[in-house]
Amino acid sequence: MSVISFEIVYRGIYQKTLANKISRTLVLAAVKEGKQGISFGRYSDSPERNGIPAKLFGYIADNSEELQAVAAKYEPKQVDVSICVDDTMCKGVESWAWYGLQPITAVTKPGGTLIVTSNYKTDDLVKHIHRRGTPYKLAIVPGGASMAGLWVYKNDGTDARVLGAALKAEPSICSMASLEQAIRENIGGDAHIEAARASFEDTRSDEVKPGQGNTEVPFTFQLLKWTEMREGVVIDGVGGHNNYRDLEGGYEPGRNEVFKKWSTRTMRPVVAFDKCTKCTLCWIACPDTVFDVTPDGYFDANMEACCGCGVCEAICPVSDCITMVNEVVFEDRGSQYLMWKKDAQAYQGYLTDKRKKGKVEKRFPITGLAAAFSGAGLDGGHNLNSAKAKSVKDFK
Amino acid sequence: MATAAQQAGVGVQLLTGSEVMANVVRLADVDVITAYPIRPYDTVMQYVSRFISNGEFDADYIPAESEHGQFEIVKHACACGARVFTGSSGVGWLYAMEPLAVTAGLRLPMVALVGCRALDDPGAFGTEHNDAMLVRDLGWLITFPDAAQEVVELGLLAYRVAEDPKVFLPCAIAMDGAFLTHSQATVRLPSQEQVKKFLPPYNRGDMLLHPDNPITIAPQANEDWLMEVRRQSSEAAKRAYTVLKDAHKDFCRIFGESTNPFLDEYMTEDADVVLCGLGTLSLPVKVAIREMRKEGKKVGLVRLKWFRPFPTEELRASLSRFKAVGVVDRDYSFGSPFHGGILLNEVKAALYGLDKQPRVKGFVCGLGGREVLLENVKHMADEILAIAKSGKADTQVEWIGVRG
Amino acid sequence: MSGETLYQIGTQQLPLMGKVNAIPQKAVEEYYTSGHRTCQGCESALIMRLMAKAAGPRTIILGSTGCMYVANTTYYSTPWVVPWMHTQLGSCGSAATGTAAALRALMRKGKMKQEPINVISFCGDGGGVDMGVAGISAALMHAEYNHLIICYDNESYANTDIQISGASPWGANTTFTPPGKKFRIMHTRWKKNIAALYAVGHTRCNYVATGDASFPADLIDKVRKGLATPGPAFIHTLDPCPKGWDYDPFYSHKLGELAVETGLFPLWEMTNGELTYTGISARLVYGNRKRRPVREYLEAQGRFHHFTEEDYAYFQGEVDKMWDNWSMPGVIPFKLGEDPAKKKK
Repeated sequence: MSVISFEIVYRGIYQKTLANKISRTLVLAAVKEGKQGISFGRYSDSPERNGIPAKLFGYIADNSEELQAVAAKYEPKQVDVSICVDDTMCKGVESWAWYGLQPITAVTKPGGTLIVTSNYKTDDLVKHIHRRGTPYKLAIVPGGASMAGLWVYKNDGTDARVLGAALKAEPSICSMASLEQAIRENIGGDAHIEAARASFEDTRSDEVKPGQGNTEVPFTFQLLKWTEMREGVVIDGVGGHNNYRDLEGGYEPGRNEVFKKWSTRTMRPVVAFDKCTKCTLCWIACPDTVFDVTPDGYFDANMEACCGCGVCEAICPVSDCITMVNEVVFEDRGSQYLMWKKDAQAYQGYLTDKRKKGKVEKRFPITGLAAAFSGAGLDGGHNLNSAKAKSVKDFK
Repeated sequence: MATAAQQAGVGVQLLTGSEVMANVVRLADVDVITAYPIRPYDTVMQYVSRFISNGEFDADYIPAESEHGQFEIVKHACACGARVFTGSSGVGWLYAMEPLAVTAGLRLPMVALVGCRALDDPGAFGTEHNDAMLVRDLGWLITFPDAAQEVVELGLLAYRVAEDPKVFLPCAIAMDGAFLTHSQATVRLPSQEQVKKFLPPYNRGDMLLHPDNPITIAPQANEDWLMEVRRQSSEAAKRAYTVLKDAHKDFCRIFGESTNPFLDEYMTEDADVVLCGLGTLSLPVKVAIREMRKEGKKVGLVRLKWFRPFPTEELRASLSRFKAVGVVDRDYSFGSPFHGGILLNEVKAALYGLDKQPRVKGFVCGLGGREVLLENVKHMADEILAIAKSGKADTQVEWIGVRG
Repeated sequence: MSGETLYQIGTQQLPLMGKVNAIPQKAVEEYYTSGHRTCQGCESALIMRLMAKAAGPRTIILGSTGCMYVANTTYYSTPWVVPWMHTQLGSCGSAATGTAAALRALMRKGKMKQEPINVISFCGDGGGVDMGVAGISAALMHAEYNHLIICYDNESYANTDIQISGASPWGANTTFTPPGKKFRIMHTRWKKNIAALYAVGHTRCNYVATGDASFPADLIDKVRKGLATPGPAFIHTLDPCPKGWDYDPFYSHKLGELAVETGLFPLWEMTNGELTYTGISARLVYGNRKRRPVREYLEAQGRFHHFTEEDYAYFQGEVDKMWDNWSMPGVIPFKLGEDPAKKKK
């Protein structure tokens, strides 16, 4: 029997429409050739949250018996193709449905393909992807994470290019002709089809060998037995407060030990402490209580809590004091403040380097959505997907 | 022979079932009470409010804006360690169905009076057990007193069992509207000292919502957790049976009563057949039995004092002694097996698998508060005697006292 | 009223912030901390944080069903440092009353140590503007119970995936009111004036205010005043919602400011029968600061992307009425009419 299964890992809400379009179009393309298919979102990922990772699954089979045979398992344990439309999730997936950190290739078959939209190179990503015992292929679709949006689908062609790459990874899904037809019916016209073709031709995948990649053991959480759980649907609150780190004074709030923000952010704030005026605005405006208060009154962004909304950069009155930088360029979650204290000069180097590699340049403009359609960039670790294909205009 | 209750009690009074319940609430030193008007339960609040206004006991008494508010208020008071009382009837009880469900889910020992009343529409004030029965699957303990005096026993047991940390489940005291809520009977109330001895203070322990105990109660749970939560509730409901049995021993010791914890059996020693039912039905049935005995008809009564926990073992042991059983429902379950009532189906389920099974026939009677007359009872008893004689099964469910 | 009904446990008198940079000195501790799973840039989560920060450690918090239940507390995972309990969508007011009643009864009867404990019950706009209105209304009439009810308003049932509520603004695109070929504007009702409704209708409620997380010192002080005021209090906050409003989370704070600067959501507080505007709203009302065009606020959000020129104009017109025709801008939507006797002449 031949069944193709795939998953799409995306950022909740603002990539929901994008993920749906990719998933539906892929299945409908196969259906054009008499195949059977389903596409479904993981129910326990809903209700979705902006930026919180979520998953869509799809099966394509030759006939309905084969389809039922696989669909009987609600959530596939193994997929042929994993599609990740935000490269920062190469660091792992913390979805609603999950406790702990799920490696991005957790359900990718041995020898299966992981397709990632990214402006970075294979090595930049592999070092984040948790290593595993079996090999897999990594294919990069050039372009940043598309902040495609929910109500207003800001179509930048990511959908078409990912579809082209998916067909390249699993040519048995359908013919290019069927895919093109499905794209025309469900996504858009010539520009999309051209982009899909280009992506089909150009997408190369690299073999990632067993043991290659991030050596960190992902955070796991053991579910309790009913005899171990407290009665009355009671759980412990978050424990108390501490000084800042091991230092005298300062303030570090107690933090939830079960759910930490490892990969929930597409970008993180880096702070130029030399410029900080201690105005307190970033600290008080943070919905996630990210900033620890240092003994000398600075505010240190704690990377176990940040989900990368960028409000701190938006509110900071000093230019270039807080900068949002793409999460992909970081391999650590350490304290920026302690790094700065240890060696201000070295920290300056670190700052400059990270900003150079991943500073989030463009943003969805506050006045009007028009710009979203002008090619002026939907951003937020979300650089304009210019790779190969044209300006966003052409995708309208 | 005078019982301990008669010696220690405050003597005989003429009280309605609601009035007795109000006295139980007073004696139990309840802390927070909420009221909202609907017949027939609301009489209890008229007595409670008078106790409050006269300073006969001290509680926060809150007339609420709806049954939903009424039950939510005491639910939250209960989570903060307050002993609570509230109640409703008919569609009012259903208006509170959401709090009724979550209270059991949260394992909060709320005690509520449901003055059993027909469900609208059409609006009717008379008794029917469907309102009380609607919480039977949620974890609620449900008890059906048959007379004002029994409200003392079952009312006090309600608090004692519900608030036992091994249980922590809410308890509904289901009183037949009018027949019990509104009819006066001679009652002996226990003394405050006796009640203190029987009923320890409510202690929520490490589930108490208080700044000294910073917990999170009822976080949202997905499929990873809910089955475990449900399993815990199921175990608590199982434990309620044993806790009730032991508490009842204590009750008899302290109040000098000697009753059966679960079943009220009348003239069953030598009975060929029995009628089986709930609540105030027992009065006409007992009288009819006495008259039929004169005609040599060996009929008895087995009345369930508790519907939850359901006394499965006691009932199997008891009913298997008889040739045939007539189950009398003061409720309906349209479209259910053999179109019988709720009690019929539960009794049949309880008897399943017995080697010596009695024949069981179901009756529906007394709906909407219609009186169950002696001839109705006698008719039902004769039907059962006939089945016992023929030994033939009769699955037909018969409606009693309906025109047509 | 008898002495018994007058029995009241005291309230906590906590110092006010005054200005934002005083907060680290006066209220550095967090009682709602990281670990919730709300959206990136969730202003409602910030409201929770500021609310808990303001209330401090001797507090019980009740939370109605909504984002701040489902996204905050998933089983075995909670952001709450202080005791917290879920309540049903429509029972925000009942939860406050029940909790306050238990504390009052148990302390009066000597079953619990006497101390002023803050009781806060919060709900979203679903719980505070639609389903829970009756319960909140009842709760606000109980002068003997100290509690604060906070309605965090993100202008839709955002948790269940953004359905229209009684607080959704006119014309907004929600999953229940999508703009279509026949009806561009599916949501044709104006947002309920909820804080004023509670303030005007509940004459024993001595503190009602509006707040916005973009003005944290103002909000913290309002929470503390609400808690310090004997009896029930109510605060309505407007929370930009990147999920339901469809904008880049980066602009959450900015949109909160715009809502006030455009005059769409005035900041005010009613204390013991006197209403004063606060912050920017005060300068708009008492000073000569001008309102910004509401279009700046609307255009930044995907939920209004289907608006045409006439829609923007209509919306601006309705906001202008709030300021030009109402006897109290954004609060009291009517004025004293002239004496009918005079009219006759």
